[in-house]
Amino acid sequence: MAVRRFTACVSAAVLVWAGVSAAARADTIDEKAAVCSSCHGEKGVPTDKNIPIIWGQQEGYLYLQLRDFKKGARKNEIMNGIAESLEKDDMKELAAYFAAKPWPNLNQASASDADVLQAKTANSAVGCSACHLDRFQGTGTVPRLSGQSHDYLAKTLAEFRSGERANNPGMTSLAQATPEPDLKAMEAYLAGL
Amino acid sequence: MKNLVTALLCSAALGLPAVQAQEIKSASRYGDLSTVSQDMLNRAASDSQNFLQTNGDYNQQRYYPNRQINTTNVSKLRPAWIFQTEVKESLETSPIVVNGTMFVTTSFSQVYALNARTGEELWHYVPKMGPITTFCCGPNNRGVAVSDNMVYLGTLDSQLVALDARSGKVMWKTEIADPEEGYSETMAPTVVDNKVLIGTNGGEYGIRGFMKAFDAKTGKLIWTFNTVPENSVGVWAEKDATGKDLHRDIAAEKATLAAMLQPTAADQKQKSGAADSAAKVVPVVDKPGATPSTSAAPAPKAAQFYKTLGGGIWQNPAVDLETRRIYFVVGNPSPDLDGSQRPGDNLYTDSLVSLDLDTGKYVCHLQYIPHDVWDFDAVSPPVITKVADKDGKPIKGVLHAGKTGYVYVHDAKDCSLVRYSEPMVPQENMWTLPTKEGARMLPGANGGVEWSPLATDPNRGLAYAINLHQPMTYQVQNSPYPDGKLWLGGAFKVIPSEEQWGNITAVDYNTGKIRWQVKTAQPMIGGILATAGGLIFAGEGNGLFKAYDSESGSPLWSFQAGAGVNAPPSSYSVEGKQYIVVGAGGNTQLDYKRGNSIIAFTVD
Ligand code: HEC
Ligand code: HEC
Repeated sequence: MAVRRFTACVSAAVLVWAGVSAAARADTIDEKAAVCSSCHGEKGVPTDKNIPIIWGQQEGYLYLQLRDFKKGARKNEIMNGIAESLEKDDMKELAAYFAAKPWPNLNQASASDADVLQAKTANSAVGCSACHLDRFQGTGTVPRLSGQSHDYLAKTLAEFRSGERANNPGMTSLAQATPEPDLKAMEAYLAGL
Repeated sequence: MKNLVTALLCSAALGLPAVQAQEIKSASRYGDLSTVSQDMLNRAASDSQNFLQTNGDYNQQRYYPNRQINTTNVSKLRPAWIFQTEVKESLETSPIVVNGTMFVTTSFSQVYALNARTGEELWHYVPKMGPITTFCCGPNNRGVAVSDNMVYLGTLDSQLVALDARSGKVMWKTEIADPEEGYSETMAPTVVDNKVLIGTNGGEYGIRGFMKAFDAKTGKLIWTFNTVPENSVGVWAEKDATGKDLHRDIAAEKATLAAMLQPTAADQKQKSGAADSAAKVVPVVDKPGATPSTSAAPAPKAAQFYKTLGGGIWQNPAVDLETRRIYFVVGNPSPDLDGSQRPGDNLYTDSLVSLDLDTGKYVCHLQYIPHDVWDFDAVSPPVITKVADKDGKPIKGVLHAGKTGYVYVHDAKDCSLVRYSEPMVPQENMWTLPTKEGARMLPGANGGVEWSPLATDPNRGLAYAINLHQPMTYQVQNSPYPDGKLWLGGAFKVIPSEEQWGNITAVDYNTGKIRWQVKTAQPMIGGILATAGGLIFAGEGNGLFKAYDSESGSPLWSFQAGAGVNAPPSSYSVEGKQYIVVGAGGNTQLDYKRGNSIIAFTVD
């Protein structure tokens, strides 16, 4: 499993290195965005479970992530490379472009009753939905979580927790304050919403 | 016929040209709007027709002078109309009513103008916001300010917008601060003498807070007061304003500050580069009462933490028209729970601050909690009212209800503390320092009085506060400033096994004693209104909106609104009939059931 994913990423990454300069040269937004589709999906369904949905994601959030990838505040080899060549206007344009697309349905299973209950209790302790809003739809710079790829959610929450994803210390604090079993339930719940 | 006459009389009295009266044909004849003069705003406390200011009047008393709805007939209160907004998300709006037109706001900074008699929509303004919006506790908006023929609004993307009150058209728009750095707006502005006063959100994002004054006609900035001065060190206070030990390690803080003031190699380079020194100066005060010593050297980068020290402002300033001073309270330091990167008292966070209205110059302050590491910010808007001083002599006072559960009573002259009330909620282990594992302390960070405004009854000498009891643990974690991103320095966690509740407390501010207290099923957030009819009105998270006898606290009436009633009520009258109005939209911060209703009640 891990191996397969690794190769998928590597080949995609290679594709991207070639694509990066293409993105920088690209004129129209469609051309710029074409590079992204090889991983984030032609129809918004990512090509790997560890790649997040960006179609229909909140615009402000998308922009800030690209900004952080470019600055290196959020570390990910692939995305750091891609964002490096993007200017502020490109990032804003790409964010607006993807935010305007419809959110795809990954048809992930609904969480079990036990997970739902545990997720709701965890939510009431730190108030995830005070920021991510009702039904975890997000707004502005707060991302939508509902229906996001399960494995990506698990990966990124684990990285918040470990500090590996360091571009939002607030989320790191909250992920650390939430016990791992609660986060697991939360991931299942959010993916299945 | 009668209405037409009234309308004509009104416009005549206000000197409106007749043409203007014609222009508002599209509005219903009951919803005609007249210009709001400065004189009307000044006399809002005795205006039993309108509700012109967020908290009733410039003194923010929330005491409505109309007694038509009173203890004897309140049982017959029923909905006159319900207006459903298009936004189902928490409602914190204070409805403003001007000659039969009501202005309310919703989450995401939208504004509705309604006919206050019928609930009919006159216009709806949806701001085109930029992509970057942040908030700590929901995309809330607490309402508009009115003056002349304009309606003023602060938006989530930190813009100040002036709308034509008749059409909702944008007259001008100004950026208050850069939203990408964590600035946003949820508070209602205050307008006085052609100035629009507004603070900022962002205490969870490492901003540098401020109060700004803009020209009401043009949107041009008049003055800025930074709530965090470059020298934020203060007096190294070991105790809070009520004398409780804060358990600060002051020696360690001083060592941190000294280390920060050691220029690094990078700083040296910078210094030689920028010799002209518009550069920042860090004055250091290390003993109480000392004047800040300033050196001409630019502060080393590490010591410039005043730039990210927080100090947002949640609610409107009270305005003293006699002395031309304003009084407001300042929010928490950033990051909330981690004090290790911000040595000193962190002035003027968690403080009452007074400024000169015309210049924005500092007059006085009192810090409630120096070097806060619990998010115990000061958020409920201050009230100016006559209070008894320590000798029982009447003086001009300022009241503030804290997250500590105290009502603080100040002397308006110098901000000093005259007294504080008995605690309105349980206090335990104050001030236990946050730990890595989480330390329990009461009140929780959602505790005592949140942003909810007080109401007062000046005749009874009572202040009415709505409180939260929500036990929490406090956890600390260290992380560097994240460029305008969420920065808590730890986490507060509700303890799920412990009971939560709320209460309404009537405090005699001349003695500090609690007069009466009514417990509610849930922690309370939203606000309260007192009226000359001997009533107070307040809502709950479970959808109940209730009226109580303001003398005794006995419940007299209740209504189930179907969604959390977590907004401050207002009152007004149209055609001689008094109404009570409140938003029922639930609350994001406490996750109370969301809704989208503005409900106006009257007695038939
Ligand atoms: C080679 C594959 C690949 C390509 C091509 C790619 N991405 Fe990504 N992207 C990823 C991966 C993997 C992540 C997850 C990174 C992580 O786990 O931190 C990601 C994350 C993101 C995120 C963060 C989303 C979130 O929910 O936090 C954004 C925004 C994003 N990409 C935008 C883009 C854009 C815009 C493009 C095209 C210019 C693009 N990506 C091209 C693989 C790719
Ligand atoms: C105080 C506000 C707040 C709270 C409470 C909060 N979050 Fe977040 N969360 C954010 C913000 C803002 C971001 C965007 C992070 C960034 O800028 O990189 C985020 C990001 C995330 C992400 C990353 C999504 C992605 O696409 O990469 C996940 C997953 C997440 N939060 C889950 C949670 C969970 C689970 C909880 C409750 C345990 C929670 N959040 C509580 C504000 C909050």
